[in-house]
Amino acid sequence: MKKTLFALAAALLASTAAYAQDPGVSDTEIKIGDVNIMTGPASFIGKAVSVGSKIAAAEINEAGGVNGRKITVVTEDDGYVPARSFQALTKLIEVDGIFALNGTSGTANVLAMMPLIEENNLPTVVTTAPNELVYNPVRPSVFTVGASYSDAFYGQLKYIHENMKVENPVYGLIRQDDDFGASIEHGYDRAIKEFGVKEGPRIRFKKGTANYAAEMAQMKQAGVNVLANGGIIAGAANILGEARKLDMDLQIASVWSEDMPPSVNLSAPAGYDYLVADYVALDGPAIDAFMEKARKYASEDEVAAINRYTYLTYVGLHALAEGMKRCGKELTRACTIEQLRGLKDFDTQGVSAPISFDNEKQLSGTALKIYQLNSKDKTFKTLQDFTQY
Amino acid sequence: MRTGHFKERTGQLVALSDSKVVWSFVALLFALALVAPFVLGNYQVTLLVSTLIAIVGAVGLNMLTGTTGLISLGQAGFLAVGAYTNAILMMDFGWPFWLSLPAAGVVAALISILVGVPSLRLKGLYLAITTLAFAFIINHVILYAEWLTHGPNGIFVSGAKLFGFDIQKGKPLYYTALGVAAIVVFAALNIQRSRIGRAWMAIRDHDIAARVMGVDLVRYKLLAFMVSSFIVGIAGALISLQIRFVNIDVFALILSIEALAIVILGGLGSIAGAILGAIFLSLLPEAIRLFFETFSDTNSSFYTTYVYEIRGITYGVVIIAFLRLKPEGLIGLWRDIRKYWSNWPLAY
Repeated sequence: MKKTLFALAAALLASTAAYAQDPGVSDTEIKIGDVNIMTGPASFIGKAVSVGSKIAAAEINEAGGVNGRKITVVTEDDGYVPARSFQALTKLIEVDGIFALNGTSGTANVLAMMPLIEENNLPTVVTTAPNELVYNPVRPSVFTVGASYSDAFYGQLKYIHENMKVENPVYGLIRQDDDFGASIEHGYDRAIKEFGVKEGPRIRFKKGTANYAAEMAQMKQAGVNVLANGGIIAGAANILGEARKLDMDLQIASVWSEDMPPSVNLSAPAGYDYLVADYVALDGPAIDAFMEKARKYASEDEVAAINRYTYLTYVGLHALAEGMKRCGKELTRACTIEQLRGLKDFDTQGVSAPISFDNEKQLSGTALKIYQLNSKDKTFKTLQDFTQY
Repeated sequence: MRTGHFKERTGQLVALSDSKVVWSFVALLFALALVAPFVLGNYQVTLLVSTLIAIVGAVGLNMLTGTTGLISLGQAGFLAVGAYTNAILMMDFGWPFWLSLPAAGVVAALISILVGVPSLRLKGLYLAITTLAFAFIINHVILYAEWLTHGPNGIFVSGAKLFGFDIQKGKPLYYTALGVAAIVVFAALNIQRSRIGRAWMAIRDHDIAARVMGVDLVRYKLLAFMVSSFIVGIAGALISLQIRFVNIDVFALILSIEALAIVILGGLGSIAGAILGAIFLSLLPEAIRLFFETFSDTNSSFYTTYVYEIRGITYGVVIIAFLRLKPEGLIGLWRDIRKYWSNWPLAY
């Protein structure tokens, strides 16, 4: 009798589990989490990310939602501190009960969240930290959109090498002494070896360094005229400022953060028309159409906060929604992951290259567009369309 | 009505407390702490684990700054040393957690001698800057010694077990952190009442007078550095256990400032103060978040653009206001409350 009761109870539990919906899904709503840098010096990234999610969610919801369910985005601030990212994701999972994650902050931050993501089998689209550490080794529920810094620098240096006809080229590298800097150096290495060009100094600096006078003097002395500038935002601007003081004639490859308006405002006064490789569009009809949507769904302040990270999260949430949509009414995390794994050539309306996660690394958007800044009017022109490196 | 508190026997003098009320209160708090994970949700338990780790770190820093009067801004460095030691020993050398945890403290304590020796003649701001420089050095060493620390890639920490339990999440992690915090607090209370603790206080109050009274400044200052760093190293190991990932970004220099803020806000030199400060500063952001979530529309554009900065400003304003109104810290407030009730109804 006891055995029969146990068997009945077990069968009941099993059947409940089979039909139970995963957290974050109700008949009318799907909760999507977003952990981001909403405070501190890098908050312009988090705010842009948050606006991207908001616009995508509003657009999806207006079109009827995901099989009738509306998307709600819940944002948590991590201040760019990995320990707080962990805390924030714990809150999103335990208190808000999110179904999936679309905003994941920086590389160290997403890595700090990784054990929780894996443990909860949380469908996660990483759009702002496409570092190799995120997709290698591949985690079953993690899908990454974005090219590597390595490819971005290789692509730009290749363009300079083939199209810009620099006389007696001497290449130099200045980069942060962390995982991000190492990735840049990897692309630089590849370019140097492949082109067989003369190499100048490779200089590492600490994140947050403000004065690059000695470093750039070293570059000048070595006759560097092709610079791989691994500085970001104020750092990149200071490097260019020092180069201008030394009257260096340079062709410059930069990090994609340098195509954002705050970065351009800081760097443009140095007068260098630097190159940027990015995996999102910065101009053209796709961006014009996006801005129209932005003005429809976001406030004036939110529109002002838009930059490349907005486009990325917008694309990320649309890809995630497509995965969920393909599951039909029986929406589960396992199904969403399975559907995302099969996503191929998902159209982003030109905001980025089409998204395909049907590869070993579950990595997409690796094609890069190369742009050049016009430092006088602070606009970018496309030099090369999306290309795989 | 009580008119005073007189200690009449030696036993009363050496006891941690001779007050039954205090012991009952401690027992009640401990009982509440033991049942907390059964009553609270997982997120609240995670917050409590972070708070317990902050308590361990704050008690460690309090030994150095509060009790001995040596200002240190190198706590982020010692936390990193403890966390990396634990991560490397567990993941690369296969040590069990019960061995790698004390080893994290020992390595941090040994490294503190390197900071302690050149800092012996320094105090105040000079010492603060020296210890800050140490944190920078540790940062560089971790990034460049890739063969040992995995450089900027960091280390994932998994498989920590104690008595067969996975102690990296949920209740087992909570009880591990609670056990460590209880041991650290108990040890710190005893050290503070010992000859060593009294020597540290003498150094803090007037180092020349302390030396005249026979306190060996070199020995006791170094000892303060070592004991403090041992405890902070343990806190670092617990952080690596909770987050399950160590990377240099986890130990940003702001942690040193936050640690100092905890000790000052709690009340310098008091272990109870360090505990109160850790609880207050760990839970304040959560309280502010709850306040804003309750009183503002989370779907508004205000929420996507300004609310986070306003929360940060509120956090700062609360700390400033508190220190302005109660410079002796939370422990001062606690003493005032205790005095009020002890003397009631004649309190003034």
